[in-house]
Amino acid sequence: MRGPTTFRQYLRNVWDGFFTTLIGMRITGRYLLQKPITVQYPDERMPIPDRYRGIHYLEQEKCINCLACARACPIDCIEMDAIRHGKELEWVSFTLDYQKCMFCELCVYPCPKDCIHMSTEYTLVSTDRSEFVHDLLSFKGMARDARVRMREAEKKKAEKVAAKKAVAAPAPAAGTEGAKPEEAQEAAAEPAAADAEAGADLSGDEEAQA
Amino acid sequence: MEHGNYVHSLLDGVAPDWVPGWAVVVSTAAVGVALLIAFVAVLAMFSVWLERKVSGHIQCRYGPMYVGGWHGWAQSLADALKLLMKEDLVPIGADRVLFVVAPALVLGSIFGALVAFPFTPGFFFADIDLGIFFILGMSALTTIGVVMAGWASNSKWSLYGAMREAAQVVAYEIPLGISLLVPLMVAGTFNLLEASQMQAGWFGMKWLVFQNPFMIPAAILFFTAALAETKRAPFDLPEAESELVAGFMTEYSGLRWSFFFMEEYAAMFLMSLVAAVFFFGGFESPFTHLAQRAFVGETAAVADLPLLYQLTAGVVLFAKALFGVFVMMWLRWTLPRLRIDQVMTMGYKYLTPLALACVLAAGTWEAIF
Repeated sequence: MRGPTTFRQYLRNVWDGFFTTLIGMRITGRYLLQKPITVQYPDERMPIPDRYRGIHYLEQEKCINCLACARACPIDCIEMDAIRHGKELEWVSFTLDYQKCMFCELCVYPCPKDCIHMSTEYTLVSTDRSEFVHDLLSFKGMARDARVRMREAEKKKAEKVAAKKAVAAPAPAAGTEGAKPEEAQEAAAEPAAADAEAGADLSGDEEAQA
Repeated sequence: MEHGNYVHSLLDGVAPDWVPGWAVVVSTAAVGVALLIAFVAVLAMFSVWLERKVSGHIQCRYGPMYVGGWHGWAQSLADALKLLMKEDLVPIGADRVLFVVAPALVLGSIFGALVAFPFTPGFFFADIDLGIFFILGMSALTTIGVVMAGWASNSKWSLYGAMREAAQVVAYEIPLGISLLVPLMVAGTFNLLEASQMQAGWFGMKWLVFQNPFMIPAAILFFTAALAETKRAPFDLPEAESELVAGFMTEYSGLRWSFFFMEEYAAMFLMSLVAAVFFFGGFESPFTHLAQRAFVGETAAVADLPLLYQLTAGVVLFAKALFGVFVMMWLRWTLPRLRIDQVMTMGYKYLTPLALACVLAAGTWEAIF
C-alpha cells in the first residue's frame, strides 16, 4: 500500500487519524452510557414471544386418542395409551420424548380437536435421561364427568336391554286382560330391578376402579 | 531543593532520641515499600475490574455482576486467589533462569518508576531531581523483561510477541521523550514535585497544558506514544489475543502471569500519572489550593500541611490518573488493532516528526512570549 505522496496528503492523514478516532470514541461513548441489553439469567428472563415453540401442553379433556399427532411426528416422539369405555377414555399415558423432539410443531397442526399446543417454557435441565420423557397428562384414569357420562351410557344400555327383555318375556304369557296392567306393572318393575342391579353392579365397578 | 517527606517527618517525630538517623530513613523506606506493593496490587485488581466493566458496558452488556454482590466488585479478588493457586509451570526447553527473572524484572521496573512520583505534596517515596528522566528510563526496562520472557519461553508465539514488542517500544520511545520535552520546556524542571506545585492556583488555568498552544498536540502525541509503550490497543500486537494466543505471555500461568498483568495496568497508570503531572496539574486542584491558602499560607513548609490537604491532593492526582486509564480502556474498544508495519510507520513517520515539530514550535513560542 502506498503512503502519502504529497505533504498535503500527509497532513490529511494526520488530521483524519485524530478526528476519526474522536468520532469512534463518540460512538463507543454512547454505547458506554446506555443501559445494557443483557439480562441477568437465570434471575431475569428475556420475554418470550407467544408463538414460541417450547415444551408441549396437552388439553387432556379434549383429546380423543386419535394418534394424529403421533403419526405426524417425523421422529416418533409421541406415544399415547388409553382404554376406551364406549365413547369415554381412561388415560394411561401420553409421553413425549424430548431427547428426540426437534420442536418443529408438526404435531400441533393435525390435531382434530386442537388440544396439543407448544408453550413458552424452554428450560429442560436434568441429570437423568429418564426425566426427558415427559408425561403430558394432567391426571390418570378417567375424568370425573367422563366417568359420569360413562355410567349414564351404561345405565341407558342396561335399560334398553331390560326393556327388550321385558318386551320379549310377557309375549308368551299373553292371556287375560286383567293380567296386562299387572304385566305392565311387572314390566315396569323389572327395569327398575334391573336398574338397581345395574346400579349395584356399577358401584362395585367404581369401587374397584377407585 | 530539599522537600520534606511526610512519613519521614512523622517517624522522626515519633522515634525516641536513641534511634539513629539512618534507622528512621530505613523504616521510612520500609513503610514506603510496603505501601507501594499494596498500592500497586490493589490498583491492578481495581483496574482489571474497571476494564471488565468498561469493556462490558461499551459492548452493551454488564461486566462481572455476581462475585461480591454489587456489580461483582470482588471478581478481581477471586481471580487473584485462583491465580495464586495455579501450578507453577516452566516449559520444557525453556531457559529457567530467564523465565523466572522476566516477570520480576518487568514488574520491578514499574515499581521503580512509581517511586519517583509525588502522590501528595508531602508523601513521596523519593525526591528525585531528574524525576521524569528516571521514570522514562525505568519504564523502558520492561522491554528487556518482555524480550527475556519471549526468548525464554521456547515458543514461537512468544518470540514473535517479544520481537514485536521490542520493535514497537524502540519506535515509540522517541516520540514519548520528545513530546515530553514540550512541558519540560514550559515547566523548566525535571522534578515532578516542583512541576506539580508550579501548577497551583487559578482554577486550572495554571495547568501546563494551557500555558502554550503547542502543549495540546504534545499531550495527544504523548498519550498516543504512551498507548504504544504500554502495549495497549490499538498497539497491542505483542499480546494480540486473536493472533498470537497471548504473545510473549503464552507460556506463563498463575502467579508469574499475574505479574505481567499487574505490570500492564501499573504501566498504564504510570503513563497516566506522568500525563496528569506534566500536563494536567498534578495533585493541584481548586480544592487543594484553597485549602493550602486557608490553612498554612503559600510558603509554608510541606511537613506542616495538614493531613486532610495531603489526602485531598492524593485523591485528586489519583482521579486524574484514573481518568487517563479510563480513556485508554475506552480507546481499546474504539479502534481496531494496527498491523505491525502500520505501527512502525506511525511511530517513525508520523509521531516522531510531529513531536519534533511540536518541540520546535513550542520552543519558538516560549522564546517569543
